[in-house]
Amino acid sequence: MVDQSIAGPVKAMTSPSEGDRSARARIVILLLCLGLVIAVLLSLTSGASDASAVDVIRDGLFGAMPGDAALSARDSLIVYDIRLPRVILGMLVGAALAVSGAVMQGLFRNPLADPGLVGVSAGSSLGAVAVIVLGGTMLAPLTALLGTLALPLAAFCGGLATTLVLYQVATRHGRTSVATMLLAGIALAALAMALTGILIFLADDRQLRDLTFWQLGSLSGATWAKIASVGPVIVLALAAMPFLARGLNALALGEATAGHLGIPVQRLKYTAIIGVSAAVGASVAVSGGIGFVGIVVPHLLRLLIGPDNRYLLPASALLGASLLLLADAVARTIVAPAELPIGIVTAISGAPFFLWILLRKRGVVDL
Amino acid sequence: MIEARDVSVDIAGKRIVSGVDFDARPGEVAAIVGPNGSGKTTFLKALSGELAYTGRVALNGRDLSAMKPVEIAVQRAVLPQATTLSFPFTVREVVKLGLVGGRSGVLPGEDARLPERALARVDLDGFAGRFYQELSGGEQQRVQLARVLCQVWAPLLDGQPRYLFLDEPVSSLDIKHQLIIMNIARDFARRGGGVVAILHDLNLTAMFADRIFVMHRGRLAATGSPQEVLSDDLIEKVFDCRLKVGVLPAGNVPFVLPQSAA
Repeated sequence: MVDQSIAGPVKAMTSPSEGDRSARARIVILLLCLGLVIAVLLSLTSGASDASAVDVIRDGLFGAMPGDAALSARDSLIVYDIRLPRVILGMLVGAALAVSGAVMQGLFRNPLADPGLVGVSAGSSLGAVAVIVLGGTMLAPLTALLGTLALPLAAFCGGLATTLVLYQVATRHGRTSVATMLLAGIALAALAMALTGILIFLADDRQLRDLTFWQLGSLSGATWAKIASVGPVIVLALAAMPFLARGLNALALGEATAGHLGIPVQRLKYTAIIGVSAAVGASVAVSGGIGFVGIVVPHLLRLLIGPDNRYLLPASALLGASLLLLADAVARTIVAPAELPIGIVTAISGAPFFLWILLRKRGVVDL
Repeated sequence: MIEARDVSVDIAGKRIVSGVDFDARPGEVAAIVGPNGSGKTTFLKALSGELAYTGRVALNGRDLSAMKPVEIAVQRAVLPQATTLSFPFTVREVVKLGLVGGRSGVLPGEDARLPERALARVDLDGFAGRFYQELSGGEQQRVQLARVLCQVWAPLLDGQPRYLFLDEPVSSLDIKHQLIIMNIARDFARRGGGVVAILHDLNLTAMFADRIFVMHRGRLAATGSPQEVLSDDLIEKVFDCRLKVGVLPAGNVPFVLPQSAA
């Protein structure tokens, strides 16, 4: 929009049509890939320890330098077993949350829908807490049967139940009322949190401490085992999302019109709901309540490349992954050697951003 | 050909459309007229596969209820009364959504420029880069029509006629664009497609419709050519308004008829 004047004479040759932002979107996605690489390197090198990822990677590639073998062993442990799983988990969770936000916004036809805001995360949280607290007692058969998958699966079921109820309440005749959606989200989140509260009441001291830190949201304690249990779920959910892009674009015109265009609307809606629940459930299971990624990332990207989900979804995954890595780098270093829960970092930066969207869009968002 | 036989629609236990027989033939503009709340839009929604109905609807000989959304979308495109968007799409992006099914019917290479051609068709040349939300109601309606035209650009596909369903296509337009849009509909029919349009303006209906279906309290009150249907008695009965068809108003009250367009 802004660059029309400078692009004027060249435009006829470079960009085929006015109002077509796909070329710009491709460039942005390319830059976001680059950004993610930088964020990964930054995350691998920064932290409480002065272990240098550059050295470790160089050693891994070219063999250890003579003379610093002892140091390298320690550094190598820090980089491969502490920072690398954390970076991978951060990327998975960041991508999952951002893409889930974008898909929910498409589904509800509303830029304010976010798994954290409308209670889906709270529902996932309830499922996860149930497994943590009752895993040794009431739900013991379940945890015995499912092993490490019990936690993400319970979080998925909690998120799925919340999303389904929310959709039934907020959407009537294919139209979603924003006010109903946000208010129903508040009610559902309150209910989920109350039930979570009962579980916390039942928890013993050790579980209590675990739960508190987990609920604030953190990537600490990332292990290869955790990645193995939730990674496939998130990757699978993310891989399914691009197939929804065309349908979500059509859905922006309303459910009826999407149907007129030949989109199987019911199937699209249920796929989206299951995908979002899986991605959010898995994220919540490993990292607790990390808020606002799902609303900030898609919103920023829509300003840049427009709302076409074919570009918005992959771009959201890339930017979500990068931003969460940066937030985690801040969380790890700002009070080093202690560590701030990452949920606090995303909330402190995300909540004002959300208020800014509300102020900017007050006329557009018909509450 | 679209054949509807004994079509009834209930919404929330209330009968909105009751036993309607309806035909839309390729080459013709079929207009549905009637007072507010007479069931026109509900009937069109049944015809487009959006609402459940009893009775039988056949689209080019196939039972509508047995067809998949994507199959129906190849045969007909639907223009709703109004469309709001919650995201900042450009006009071009909205029009391009009409191509989502991929059966516009133009040659493969021509698809890329189709949004521009459709926009030119509805007199919105140069609007491609504008934001949909910043347009006036009438301009938005024409953008939507351009999108609908993209979906069934060729009135005939694989030897089968295709259809435009237009729900009050001109209600928010100025008179120039009313005529442009109605001419697009007529042209689509002349080239072998079929048009079903809900209209409120009886003058435009008389001018463009080949057949008129008058709806009243959910039922079909009359069917036929404009000359057959538009009578003083029918208008009084259906619209509850004592008007005279084809009589000049008394005194010096100005009136403008679209039929006088040069």
